[in-house]
Amino acid sequence: MTDQPVELHERRILGTELLWAFGVGVLIAATLSVIVVTALTRDINPPSNVERIDPKTLHLSGEFAEHNLGTTVGPDGRVTVRAIATQFMFVPRCMAVPVGRPVTLRFATPDVIHGLLITGTNVNTMVVPGFVAQVHTEFTRGESLLMPCHEYCGLGHSEMWATVQVMRDDQFKPGPDGRVSCAQR
Amino acid sequence: MDPADQSSDPAEADHIDEAALAEVMRVTPLGAGVVAGTAVALLVLGYLAIYFLVFLPRGTVG
Repeated sequence: MTDQPVELHERRILGTELLWAFGVGVLIAATLSVIVVTALTRDINPPSNVERIDPKTLHLSGEFAEHNLGTTVGPDGRVTVRAIATQFMFVPRCMAVPVGRPVTLRFATPDVIHGLLITGTNVNTMVVPGFVAQVHTEFTRGESLLMPCHEYCGLGHSEMWATVQVMRDDQFKPGPDGRVSCAQR
Repeated sequence: MDPADQSSDPAEADHIDEAALAEVMRVTPLGAGVVAGTAVALLVLGYLAIYFLVFLPRGTVG
């Protein structure tokens, strides 16, 4: 083989590699653009909330005391769901939420690391002792959704799940105290 | 094999034809590009399918 074809081949291989690198660069830029455009236009972001809470006194007073758990509709119409993830259950076991309205979900745990997802939605977060996990979302269909713990938390982990009851407007009626429960359905 | 049987020219010993080698070297980048491009195209199609058919319909979160 002469020197000239070798040089030619090396140039061709280099050209192919540069073309491939350009293609990979375009794909990476496109993927990042999809993330940014989705975040800006569809309001889909990774939940991010750094808020500390004392896990030792979680259930004694304050936001996550038993009488505050469940669904609350504020005077401004904002819907907030508060729940505790503990070995091996969610309290409350059933959460009522409206369809087609912004909902804020807030979770805390007094014991170990838990996690949760709500089936059929993008809600998915860890629940870490010492922090409040907060997720904003909007449910689009009136249905009953499963919410299992998805972070191994002990021997009873597989039994730890709750239900999210997505209610239509005619079913989602807050009481005088602004609270809504699954039993009202 | 007895080393004494081997030719001093490695190309001749391996029966490499110069013209065939040049042809292989000419098409090798194209073939690699087709294989790798097909694999990446399938990956991108899978990504787009999950994005449009699963991720977006699951709604807003943040």
